[in-house]
Amino acid sequence: MSELITFRIRRFNPESGEEAYYEDFTFEPPNPEATLLDCINHIKWHIDGTLTYRMSCRSAICGSCAMRVNGGGQLVCNAQFQDYLDENGVVTIEPVGNMPVVKDLVTDFSDFWNKVHSVNPYVQYADEDAERSNDGEHRMDPTDFAKINEASTCILCGACYSECVSYEADRNFLGPAALAKAQRLVNDTRDETKQERLEALSEYGGMWDCAHCFACVQACPKPVNPLYRIIDLRREAHKEGFHDNNGSRHARGFVEIIEESGWLDEAKLPVKSVGSVSEFVADLLPMGVRMGLKNKYRPNPLHMIPGRHHPEIPKMEEVKTIIQKTRLDKEDETAEAEGEADHG
Amino acid sequence: MAEENGGTETERKRYAFYPGCVSKGACKELKTSTEIVAKHLGIELDELTEAACCGAGVTDDVNEEMTDALNARTLAMAEQRGLTLLTQCSTCQGVLNKLNKEVQADEDKRERLNGILDETGYQYDGTVEVKHLLWTLVDEEEYGISKLKEQVKRPLTGLRIAPFYGCYILRPSDLLGFDHPHRPTSLDELIEALGGETVDYKGKTKCCGFPIQMMRPTNSFRMAGTHLNEAKTKGADAMATPCPLCHLNLDARQPDAERVLQQDGKLAGSIDLPTLHVSQLVALALGYSPKELGMDTHIVSTKAVEAKI
Amino acid sequence: MIQHDALIVGAGLAGQSAALAAIRNGARDVAILTKVHPVRSHSCAAQGGIAASLGNSAPDSTESHEFDTVKGGDYLSDQTAATILAENAPDTIYELEHMGVVFSRTEDGKIAQRPFGGHTSPRACYAADRTGHAVLHGLYEQVMKAGVKTYSEWYMLSLVIEERQCRGVVVMNIDTGEIETIRAKAVFFGTGGYGRIFQTTTNAFASTGDGAIIAYRAGIPLEDMEFMQFHPTGLYRHGILASEGARGEGAYLINGKGERFMERYAKERMELAPRDIVSRAEQMEIDEGRGGEEDGGAVYLDLRHLGGERIMERLPQIWQLAYDFLGVDMIKQPIPIQPTAHYSMGGIPTNTDGEVVDDQENSVVRGYYAAGECACVSTHGANRLGTNSLLEACVYGARTGRSIARYVSNGASEEGAEKALKDAQARAVEYVERVRAMDGPERTADIRTDMKHAMMHKCGVFREEKPLQELMGELQELRARFERASVMDRGRRFNTEILETIEMDHMLELTQVVAAGALARQESRGGHARRDYPQRDDQSWLKHTLAYRQEDGTPALRYKSVEIVKYEPQERKY
Repeated sequence: MSELITFRIRRFNPESGEEAYYEDFTFEPPNPEATLLDCINHIKWHIDGTLTYRMSCRSAICGSCAMRVNGGGQLVCNAQFQDYLDENGVVTIEPVGNMPVVKDLVTDFSDFWNKVHSVNPYVQYADEDAERSNDGEHRMDPTDFAKINEASTCILCGACYSECVSYEADRNFLGPAALAKAQRLVNDTRDETKQERLEALSEYGGMWDCAHCFACVQACPKPVNPLYRIIDLRREAHKEGFHDNNGSRHARGFVEIIEESGWLDEAKLPVKSVGSVSEFVADLLPMGVRMGLKNKYRPNPLHMIPGRHHPEIPKMEEVKTIIQKTRLDKEDETAEAEGEADHG
Repeated sequence: MAEENGGTETERKRYAFYPGCVSKGACKELKTSTEIVAKHLGIELDELTEAACCGAGVTDDVNEEMTDALNARTLAMAEQRGLTLLTQCSTCQGVLNKLNKEVQADEDKRERLNGILDETGYQYDGTVEVKHLLWTLVDEEEYGISKLKEQVKRPLTGLRIAPFYGCYILRPSDLLGFDHPHRPTSLDELIEALGGETVDYKGKTKCCGFPIQMMRPTNSFRMAGTHLNEAKTKGADAMATPCPLCHLNLDARQPDAERVLQQDGKLAGSIDLPTLHVSQLVALALGYSPKELGMDTHIVSTKAVEAKI
Repeated sequence: MIQHDALIVGAGLAGQSAALAAIRNGARDVAILTKVHPVRSHSCAAQGGIAASLGNSAPDSTESHEFDTVKGGDYLSDQTAATILAENAPDTIYELEHMGVVFSRTEDGKIAQRPFGGHTSPRACYAADRTGHAVLHGLYEQVMKAGVKTYSEWYMLSLVIEERQCRGVVVMNIDTGEIETIRAKAVFFGTGGYGRIFQTTTNAFASTGDGAIIAYRAGIPLEDMEFMQFHPTGLYRHGILASEGARGEGAYLINGKGERFMERYAKERMELAPRDIVSRAEQMEIDEGRGGEEDGGAVYLDLRHLGGERIMERLPQIWQLAYDFLGVDMIKQPIPIQPTAHYSMGGIPTNTDGEVVDDQENSVVRGYYAAGECACVSTHGANRLGTNSLLEACVYGARTGRSIARYVSNGASEEGAEKALKDAQARAVEYVERVRAMDGPERTADIRTDMKHAMMHKCGVFREEKPLQELMGELQELRARFERASVMDRGRRFNTEILETIEMDHMLELTQVVAAGALARQESRGGHARRDYPQRDDQSWLKHTLAYRQEDGTPALRYKSVEIVKYEPQERKY
């Protein structure tokens, strides 16, 4: 009747003593509009009952069925197989990445939950009794609600962790979902511990360790888009004066450079970013020398002197007009200059 | 105008060219090579010399509105010229494209940004397309891979190249809509069209680590090193990338990447894998010399590549 | 043997509310056990709202909420239970809000409220169209904060009750496959519904009624199981929920001819009549040839006049669901929909403190509690109003948690549990080994398909004596076929095939209870509509069904009276 399709599934049986392997299941799809989950269920129910995976709501809200499809993390319940066949009619299904495999497509989420737990993922009041009060609701302006709307749609499915490059490189990174949860709480007007949260999130493993690779945005089945929430956190940290780290210095330094000349000075930015002379000596200097020797890049040292800079782009006055109009709140700037709002 | 000239002139492509800051600083060889390629292929580059830096996805960590307004001004420059905006940097492309799609979909945002642009004389109506050089070379609607093939003078036969796509040119795919986010083909097609052989490896769609070079150098270099080492192990002679920021981490930072992998116990000696810009690769196949393309300025020697061509 | 003062089975809204309330009221050793991770619980799929007469967008009162609930339930509700529900609603919502649940807001920053079917005032507090998700995750935040011991992905196999005293449960650690006993002074069930016995359902694959059947097998009767709610707006052919919130926001229902057919069935309330009435209206349109789509099996939910902006702000999830599953952009096109099995009004009988009761006199089973969809307290009577389920789970979950705290602090009996639990464990091991060894010619999946089809067509929106009698026979045959089914995965670790087979065993037994209750009840009331008895019959049937398991596994039916306090039954018009 319909064309045969093939699901190439990564199998692993912890009791067999064998390595993981790929198995091809070739079958007639249950119906032309079948979802990937319908097809996987079809395999389990009609071909091989040993195939093991998690699933429940089949409507993209319980977060059980994240898997890697054709190389990327996603849910399998909300996507039709037709959109995933390669030129040979094959769909490749693997367990989500960055987690130990328990059996077939089931992975161990322990560290994922640990990361979520570790951001204090609940509203905190200065007075804990406030939490149990029945004394009417807090007022929350619709614009404040808008700031937490997207993060609050997270279903904790783990598709983002599957693809996160920073988490892959360093398990100390909190990761996309936990940081999205943190953003929700930082911007939740009920929470009274914003400063403590931002301070902790500015540490090693926090918001500045994200490599901005968009893999979580690509994977996210909901409007959470964790990277964008991490950027929200960085803006909030900047606004609240959490400036004493390379991430913040880097972003602020970049803006200053554009304000000066309209374009990036690649020699100046790293110098503005590092927090200590030792970092400069240990890391930047050798790289500078390396690039200078090869004549790849030889910046003019005079441009490094405070108040001076490399040549401006033509029509810099237009850029300055825009910068003038978009400067962040003046009061913040003044306070920052006086060191009042600076948590450095 | 072009049509009146007839002949090959009708096919001449003209773009509003946004070279990006890095190609005027630490990767000058990129701009040189792109200009050589464009000239050779008859692609006209109308450079937007007055455009400001795109902010590289960094400045909006602090000031979104400034970043968006400066980029709206850049898009407006291309719109005034009635041209597609061409980048040679994945990151510039990604940043400009994201804003472009947002402004096209969100009228309020467009109006707000135009309010800021008011005094500069620019207004942006959302009519521009943003494309990366790689896409225009591959896409038959633009210059196209078949025409490019005809131009190859010195096929890169025997050269095994690991395509490094990186992030901004692939993700988020619903916004960019060119390549498959996990199984991209454009750079592979290009390599093959130039006569080279592609090397497949897991890291090709991952992050080079550049954005966290200043914040978490060890992680950054681990990323670069892992991908370089994997490509090398799979037999690559060189990597090729459409992003000069990736180039910086993969090439200029390769000694650091080696050091981290050694500390991790993942590498014994060196990696020694050169990384080429897309336009260098094309220019090599068009017959230009490595010296003309600034390959001698790379941190990792390109001699092994040169020996093979 | 694992031991806890209180064991909460199921981690949806009822279970998590119970656990938190028990802890906050002094219970020290409370643990949660759930076959899926807590945030995967099916409460997350509730969309449109949670009811409370806050009066944030129009005047409202608890009396009005109470009356709407009783009338909506076609007068089968126990009225004290409905009163408690309505009276506790505002404080419950405020408490959730203080916990950190993210609600949509009015322009002046209060919790936003929208109209809902059968409610005479806009009292559905909501978080766009993901209210269940918002409340479930909000509660789970508190569970994380309290550090409640959670047995995630553990499956309950049996409940041990001796002489009206609960002893504990036998459970399987899904990861290892090991079978253990948990001795607890108090056991709470918040194990959800069983929509999966029907072909078309909004329910998750996990909604297989395990808790209800495990109670039934332990000698507890099941109450009012014939009352199944069919939700009027399931995505056509998928059954996936498209929130009543859509109609709350003003969406129309139209038939294949483009008519707003509710005019014929509920002239005043139109699309916002209670679900039983709307689902029957849809089924009649379809049966009488006025449906749409290729097979005429659908009607339509039309939101076009609401405009894109409002749809994307208030109903973003269902926009995405309709787009992903049907390829329909609801801003431009009506969505094809059909009635879909949604909620079970019946369940494990309890009193208003959440204590399980097991006879017509409401005698208490000590140490055993239940709340939420698996329970029947009975606030919803014969038909639940939309947004009352989340509310009931929270109100009665918490209320029961407080009962549990009192019970475990007052020196609850623990004596003599050990032997009973050991015996039950041995039986459970034997049972699971029997399942593991199943090696017959039948496929469980085929039996399941046939069961769901039979239930949908013979015990669905409309029921009738002859098809119900046929159904009883078919269910017996299915049971016989199931005895000849097979299991391929004989492994111990994470054996989901064995779990699915046990769930199938549970569902097969449940279908008999539902069908027997439906066959016996010769009237039409709320979610139970008999073509051969189209009228409500208060004379003979103003009573709750109690189904007891007999030796041979078939149900014996008894009945108990309905508690009428303030509202005498009257004709139900909308």
